[in-house]
Amino acid sequence: MDDEKETEDLQLMSRVAAQDGGAFTRLFELHAPVTLGLLSRILTRRMEAEEVLQEVFLQIWTQADRYDASRSTPRGWILMLARSRALDRIRRRDASRRREELVGEEQGDAVPPVGTERIERVERQRQVAGALGALSPDQRRCIELAFFEGLTHTQIAERLAAPLGTVKSRILLGMNKLRQTLSSQLHS
Amino acid sequence: MADTPHSARFEELLPAYALGALDGEELRELEAHLDGGCPDCRRLLALWDRDLEALAEAVEPVEPSATTRARILRLGATAPPARARQPLLPWLSLAAAALLVAAVWGIAGQLRLRGELERLTMERDRLARQVTALDQQVTLARSAAERANQALQVLAAPGVQSVVLAGLGPATQAAGHTYVNPRRHDALFYAFDLPPLPRDKTYQLWFIAAGKPVSAGTFAVDARGTGSLRVDQVADVASIQAWAVTVEPAGGVPQPTGTMVLKTTVLKG
Repeated sequence: MDDEKETEDLQLMSRVAAQDGGAFTRLFELHAPVTLGLLSRILTRRMEAEEVLQEVFLQIWTQADRYDASRSTPRGWILMLARSRALDRIRRRDASRRREELVGEEQGDAVPPVGTERIERVERQRQVAGALGALSPDQRRCIELAFFEGLTHTQIAERLAAPLGTVKSRILLGMNKLRQTLSSQLHS
Repeated sequence: MADTPHSARFEELLPAYALGALDGEELRELEAHLDGGCPDCRRLLALWDRDLEALAEAVEPVEPSATTRARILRLGATAPPARARQPLLPWLSLAAAALLVAAVWGIAGQLRLRGELERLTMERDRLARQVTALDQQVTLARSAAERANQALQVLAAPGVQSVVLAGLGPATQAAGHTYVNPRRHDALFYAFDLPPLPRDKTYQLWFIAAGKPVSAGTFAVDARGTGSLRVDQVADVASIQAWAVTVEPAGGVPQPTGTMVLKTTVLKG
């Protein structure tokens, strides 16, 4: 089923590269909610997340011909574009003030699962969430700080007041465990 | 050929590199190794990238607001209707057959009416596309005016300080200007004559305050080598020792790692 979704995504990407508005709308319907979910998680501010979502889809519309299918899935490409833009915003924002001040603002409305298609995608999210749950809390925290906040080994060690070597080891072991769990889910 | 041979140590650094967590000497060593073109590490890195894509999918989806949705979908609405173009040839065949039948049965008058209706429908669609395109142009013009206004606020502020950046290394002909508004702690940066970069690289602007480089954001240059960046938050002007631009991986990095192409010290304006 995932293969079918990926095939549809690949077809949509090549049609969007040819400036097909219908394909662009479909791509938006399929991927905007999870992209906005990721942006909201990284930026913590809903309005800013929606602004970046517009930038991401403008980039998709104008640069879909740059997508390289040998390097990532279309959904992965979109999500990594979004993450990169959001982290860039955070770095600019953090030039003079810390991110903690912003926590606790508006939270996004969760999307109710509707239709088979969304249920399948929700199932995938559940699998990954399950894989994250298999990590130790320390491993999970380190990986999340790197992925969602763009922190480096040294910055994570400072934030958690943990030895640098411990942070490196938590990330390495955690990432390996994540892969193992994801891979076993895929084959089960 | 890789400059340094492939080893298990490089493999161990890859997951943190994919996450963006690698820094310091380890980051420099691995990037030099990857730049050398190690095929094993590139293949393994692609696999880690896939795992990270899965991690991104674990977030709770959020439905975009109606305004955001309308703004984004308006982009696609300006394109010609691709789906309507595809069946053009079969449609023409049908039309030809219909014409033949009409000639036989003498209902050419009805066909003329139908043709007129189709012409009017196409005209209506063309006008609708024009309206959408104009709407988009207005949005772009508003956005450009807003940017110009923001630039004016920085440039016309009392006490604005200008900083000149000179080209280095591979870009000696390049130059840059930064205008800092010390009251609002924001700045405008313009770069000239910088060479265009490959897709996986970006220019990144830094200011050095208290001896530490702080990212001011990434920017691209156009075909003439001109680029600009608005910096929302800069440190206290008195504490800024220098500004610099480096070449970094696309998306930017938390600390400078690449070649420096522009640099200066603060000049009081």
